[in-house]
Amino acid sequence: MAIAQAMCTSFKQELLEGVHNFKLSGGDTFKLALYAEGGGGKSSTTATLGATTTAFTTTGEVASSGSYATGGGSLTRIDPTTSGTTAFTDFADLSFTTATITAMGALIYNSTDSNKAVCVLDFTSNKTSTSGTFTIQFPTADASNAIIRIA
Amino acid sequence: MFNVGVSQTGKVNVMTSDQGGLTNEQIADLAVDKIVSISDQAPPHVRQQANQFREHLKKVLYHYLLLARKEERGTIIQALRSSGQMETAEYIRRL
Repeated sequence: MAIAQAMCTSFKQELLEGVHNFKLSGGDTFKLALYAEGGGGKSSTTATLGATTTAFTTTGEVASSGSYATGGGSLTRIDPTTSGTTAFTDFADLSFTTATITAMGALIYNSTDSNKAVCVLDFTSNKTSTSGTFTIQFPTADASNAIIRIA
Repeated sequence: MFNVGVSQTGKVNVMTSDQGGLTNEQIADLAVDKIVSISDQAPPHVRQQANQFREHLKKVLYHYLLLARKEERGTIIQALRSSGQMETAEYIRRL
């Protein structure tokens, strides 16, 4: 599969190295970029994203449209917290408006620190907006569903 | 060897629209998904009750979303009328 949902392996190492800061106050800037399969990206490119992805790439990224600009949109951080023995963090939902986009997945990356990859999101099917809104809703921020969890 | 657990990535929900913004129903769905999550492992009677609550919540949210949009449109129409843009105000009123 060209886009496979995963927490990037490099990100796990970088967590132990103290590279990423998800705190609301003073944390790094994280962005979400959208990607296409089947030559649907810019210049007919196809994304290959998964656990081995180490940084943001323009290959397979969807073209700018509406409020979506190359590189994707900035995410609003929500302070990391814990529930039981699980630590997790969350982001506010992200919307691109008046956009014509077909995307199969996304990459969350740290634009403060050399665009290092965090995780790959697989939408499982093509999602399309035509001169409309493209919204990414993050899962419930709890120990079982949150976008990034360490149990 | 110590096993400190696993790191996981949650599943996002993607909602899209054509020729305009999200509908009231889509926004109500997004809100309900954020408020209510039902475990696959929950007993059937708990799941049934949770689903009923979810449907009720969706109807309430839908109603107030409609109201919010209508009221905001009313405020915009009044602002346009006050500035003499009657034609634009009428166009928005008919949306």
